[in-house]
Amino acid sequence: MAELVAIGAGIAVLTGIGAGIGIGIATAKAADAVARQPEAEGKISKILLLGCALAEATAIYGFVIGLLIILFLG
Amino acid sequence: MEKLAESLMEELNCETVFTIPVLGGIGVSESVVVTWIIMAFMVLLSLLLTRNLKVHGISKRQAALEYCVTWLNNLVEGMLGKEAKEYAPYLVTVLLYLGVSNVIGLFGFKPPTKDLNTAAALALMSIVLIEAAGIRKKGVKKWAKSFAEPVAVVAPINVLEIFIRPLSLCMRLFGNVLGAFVIMELIKLILPVGLPLPFSFYFDIFDGLIQAYVFVFLTSLFIKEAVE
Repeated sequence: MAELVAIGAGIAVLTGIGAGIGIGIATAKAADAVARQPEAEGKISKILLLGCALAEATAIYGFVIGLLIILFLG
Repeated sequence: MEKLAESLMEELNCETVFTIPVLGGIGVSESVVVTWIIMAFMVLLSLLLTRNLKVHGISKRQAALEYCVTWLNNLVEGMLGKEAKEYAPYLVTVLLYLGVSNVIGLFGFKPPTKDLNTAAALALMSIVLIEAAGIRKKGVKKWAKSFAEPVAVVAPINVLEIFIRPLSLCMRLFGNVLGAFVIMELIKLILPVGLPLPFSFYFDIFDGLIQAYVFVFLTSLFIKEAVE
């Protein structure tokens, strides 16, 4: 039983893949944009922060689910 | 594993500190008490800082205070846009409260945002403010009509958004603070001396302040959208 719970929590944390890819793409594009237009850095970093916060949300949901699985099933 | 789950469960639960003996007893949980401490601290600080304000020949304290207030106001007003800048004081208050409550773990208190109820209450306040701002700006009729924009087919999704927005705001704040806390606990389990220091800078200070900023940023973005 404990092994199954651990596997379930591990699967839930796989949502981190999406967040990692999303934040990676966003940061790459932001670096690109700053290299092209250094004067727009303020605006770019603001948008980057928003995008990262939204992309990160999926990872957080996965983490919350994983935690709930360990706490209530384990 | 069992011990870890138990201690995590203990941290997840917010204990009731004492009960007010009216109406069959109202439980006052730890997060409320810590919030009172934060409130007392902020009120005391603002009373001390705003004494003897002058127009000419200002003191260094007043100069620093004016700089901070202007900076915070400009930050939030920049996010809100011209149309909705009267909501800035509320959002600056939320920003200060979240900022203090996310880093208060450094002083040995339990951060109130680690309690799901605090995060849920803040998210509910945000969504009420967002919709109220929309109604105030457009009137009830136009506000109701705005759900059917740009085409009538998307109306159910727009209505669903009223429930999804506070849910995601609440879960983002709660999940981040709890996640940082759990990771810090695990690091302390590995090596309690020295190792937690660099991680504490990231998880306790940087992440907490970023989450406070993100919460206010998203709320102001939604308000800006609602009054457009």
